[in-house]
Amino acid sequence: MSLSRSPSPHPAGGGWTSPGLTPGSGSSTPHSGFLTPNPLGASGISWAAAKAKSDEVRGYPSFSTRNSGFFSRSRRQLSATLPSFRLGSGSPNGYVDKDEFGRGRHISPATGWRFGFGRSLLRRRRSRLFFTLILLLVGYLFFGGSIIQNYRRSPLGGGRKFVIILESNIEGGVMEWKGAREWALERNSVWNKNRYANEWGYEVEVVNMLAKKRYSHEWRESWEKVDLIRETMRKHPEAEWFWWLDLNTWIMEYSYSLQEHLFDRLDEIVYRDISVYNPLNITHPPREVYLDEVSRSPNGDGDASSIQLLLSQDCGGFNLGSFFIKRSLWSDRLLDSWWDPVMYEQKHMEWEHKEQDALEYLYETQPWVRNQVAFLPQRYINSFPPGACGNENDPTVHYQEADRDFIVNMAGCQFGRDCWAEMYQYREYSKQLNKTWWDRMKERLNGYYEKFYPAEQEEQEQ
Amino acid sequence: MQFALPPRKTPIAPPYARSSRFSLQRRKQFKAVAILSFALLVVFFLLSQLFYTSTGTAAVPVGTPDVVIVTVLDRVRFSEGYTQKIVKNREDYAKRHGYTNFFANLSDYETTLGDAPKSWAVVPAVRHAMASHPYSQYFFHLDAHALIMNPIKSLDSHVLEKSRLESLMRKDVPVVPPDSIIKTFSHIQPQDVDIIITTDNEDMSPGSFVLRQGEFAKFFLDFWFDPLYRTYNFAKAETHVLDHIVQWHPTILARLALIPQRVINAYSKDSSAAGADGTYKEGDFVIRFVGCDTDTKRNCEKEMDPFYRSWVGKTKIE
Repeated sequence: MSLSRSPSPHPAGGGWTSPGLTPGSGSSTPHSGFLTPNPLGASGISWAAAKAKSDEVRGYPSFSTRNSGFFSRSRRQLSATLPSFRLGSGSPNGYVDKDEFGRGRHISPATGWRFGFGRSLLRRRRSRLFFTLILLLVGYLFFGGSIIQNYRRSPLGGGRKFVIILESNIEGGVMEWKGAREWALERNSVWNKNRYANEWGYEVEVVNMLAKKRYSHEWRESWEKVDLIRETMRKHPEAEWFWWLDLNTWIMEYSYSLQEHLFDRLDEIVYRDISVYNPLNITHPPREVYLDEVSRSPNGDGDASSIQLLLSQDCGGFNLGSFFIKRSLWSDRLLDSWWDPVMYEQKHMEWEHKEQDALEYLYETQPWVRNQVAFLPQRYINSFPPGACGNENDPTVHYQEADRDFIVNMAGCQFGRDCWAEMYQYREYSKQLNKTWWDRMKERLNGYYEKFYPAEQEEQEQ
Repeated sequence: MQFALPPRKTPIAPPYARSSRFSLQRRKQFKAVAILSFALLVVFFLLSQLFYTSTGTAAVPVGTPDVVIVTVLDRVRFSEGYTQKIVKNREDYAKRHGYTNFFANLSDYETTLGDAPKSWAVVPAVRHAMASHPYSQYFFHLDAHALIMNPIKSLDSHVLEKSRLESLMRKDVPVVPPDSIIKTFSHIQPQDVDIIITTDNEDMSPGSFVLRQGEFAKFFLDFWFDPLYRTYNFAKAETHVLDHIVQWHPTILARLALIPQRVINAYSKDSSAAGADGTYKEGDFVIRFVGCDTDTKRNCEKEMDPFYRSWVGKTKIE
C-alpha cells in the first residue's frame, strides 16, 4: 500500500485533524437532528454527501499503514462504528467524557462544526453501507447463481459425488425408426436432467443404448446397462454415486438435492428387509445354517454406510428405471456377476425383463447380494403416472401432486401409451409448480396490465 | 482532493485513548475466543477419535486361530476308522501350529444340495466354517481323502507369508490348463490375493485351496454355489463351475493366485490327472488320493493306509 499523504501524528492512527481540511467542515449547517436518517430531506444531496460519496468510489485511499496488523485494522473499522452512538446518546444527556472535554478546548468553536461533521460522518457511513449492499445485490443477481453452482460443483459442495446416467437412443440405429415425437422426447428428457444437474453441480452422462450386434449376438440385449455403468464409473473417477435414469423419466422438482432428499437421511427412509414390501415373494432372510449372522438377519448389518445399491420396487418387483449404485468393490462384483452365459443360457426365455430379472434372481439366490441392497419407497425416486401399475391413484405408487414428488418415471409408456404426451404433460406441470417469484411477478404484472389496458380503452371509447 | 487525515479520526470521534482501551479489551476478547475455539476443536477431535475407535471393527478375541482347516466328512459312506485317521492327522497338525479344525458333515448340507452331486458340499462347508469362526483369517479347505504328510510346515510360512506367496504365485499362465486364453493377471500383488489355489492337469482343483475371510469370500462362495450352476449338468460339477466363473468373471480372477500344484495339492501316484510335477514326492506338504471315492476300482482306505502309517512313524520319531 502506498501512502498518498503523511500519516497521522498520533500513534493509534487518528484523533487530531485540522478542521479546515475535513470534508464536512466547510458546508456544515447547524443542524441538530443528525439522528434523522437524512437531514436534508428526501432528495437532499449536500456537497459533503457527494464529496463523501465520490471519496468512497475512489476507495479508501489513505489510512495510516503504521499499525496495519489485523487487530489494529479491524479495530479501526470496529471503533469507527462507535462515535455516532456516543455522540447521539452522550451529548443530549449532558454527559461529556473527560477526554472529549479536554479535547473540546482545543477546537473550541465546536458545536456547529461538530454536529455537521457528525452528520456527514453518519451519512458517509450510511451511504457506504448502502453502496456495499447495492454492490452485493448486483453481484448476487449477476453472479450469485454461478457462484453457488461452482461451489456445489467443487469438492466442498459435494456435487461431484453424483453422476446421472441417462440412457438415450434406445434401440436406435437399425431396430427402430425415430420420429419427431421420439426426438422431442429425447431432447426434452436430456434437457431436464441437464437442468437438474446444473442446479446442483452433478454430472450427466448421456449413454447411447444403440442396438449393437455384439449384444444381440450373445443374447445380451439391454445388458449394455451394465457395461455402460462400468464405463461411466471409469470416466468419473471422483464420483461416488451413479444414478441410472431411463429416458422416460422427468425430474419434477429441481430444488431437491440428492443429498437432502435421500443420502443425508438414508437411515430413516430406506428399508433393508424386503418383507416390508415384497411383490416377488422372495423368502427373506435366507435361513441356511451355513450362512453368517449378517446374511441371516433380515436387516443385514443395519448400517446405512454399507448400502451400495439403492432402488425401489414397483408392483412387479425391482424397478431399474431409476436406481443408484455406489462405486465399490461390491458393485464391481455385482456388475460382473450380473450377466453370466451359463445362467442366461438357461433363463433367457424366462427373463422377460432381462437385466432386471437377473438382478432379482441374484438377490434371491445369492446371500452376499442382500446386505448391500436397500429399497426406497417407490415415490422417493420413481413415482409412476396413472396407467402404470394400475389406473386408480395408489398413493404408494403414483405421483402425488400434493407431496411434490421428486421424479416421474413413465414406465411402460411405450406399450400402448403415449410417452411424449405424458412427458409433455409432466413437463408443463413441473413448470407450473416451480414458478419463480420473477415468473409470478411477470404474470401478475401482465394481469394488471391487461386489467388496466382494457379500462383505458373503454375510457377512450367513452 | 487531499485531506490531511482520515476524517473519521477526529477528536469528536471516540478519543483515541478510549478507543485503544477498547481495542485492548477487544484484543483480549479475540484471544479468549481463539483459545476457546481451539480448545473446543481439540476436544471434538479427541472425542471423534474415541468414538471412531469404539465403533470400528470389533477386536479379535484372544486365542482366535489364524487358520481354520475345513474338511467335509462323509460319515455314512466311509468307515469310522478311516474317518478317525483323517481327523487325527489334521488335529495333530492344527495343534502344532495353533490352528483349528472345522469338520463338516456331508449330511448337514444334503437338503440344500438336493439332487446336485455331493461334492458340492465343499462350498457351504467353507461358508459354514467362516460363519462359525468369524475372526479367523484363512480357511484351508482340504479334501477328506488326503493326509498332511509334512506337519512341520506351517501354512503361514509355507504359503501365506507375503514374500513366500510372491515367490509362489504363477503369473500370466492359463487359468485352466492346458491353454485357456484367460491367464492369471501379471500385476496381482500378494496383499490383494483372497484365494490361493492350484490347477492339476485338467482343471482348477477345489480339493485344496486357501480362502481369506471377507467380503470377497462371501461373494465367491455364494456365486460359485448358484442354483443355476448346480443344475446345469457340468460333468465335474463344482470343479467345472469353478473353471467357468474364474474365466468369465474378472473380479474373481483379480483376487486369485495360482501356485504350483505340489505346494498344497500333491496327488498320489494312483490319482489321475496330476499336472506336470504334481505327483507326490517324499517331503511334500500334503498328499491327496484324488478320485479314490468315485472310481469303483479303487479303495480310499487301502490307498491311504501306507501313507498313514508312515505319518504315524514320523510323528513318533519326533
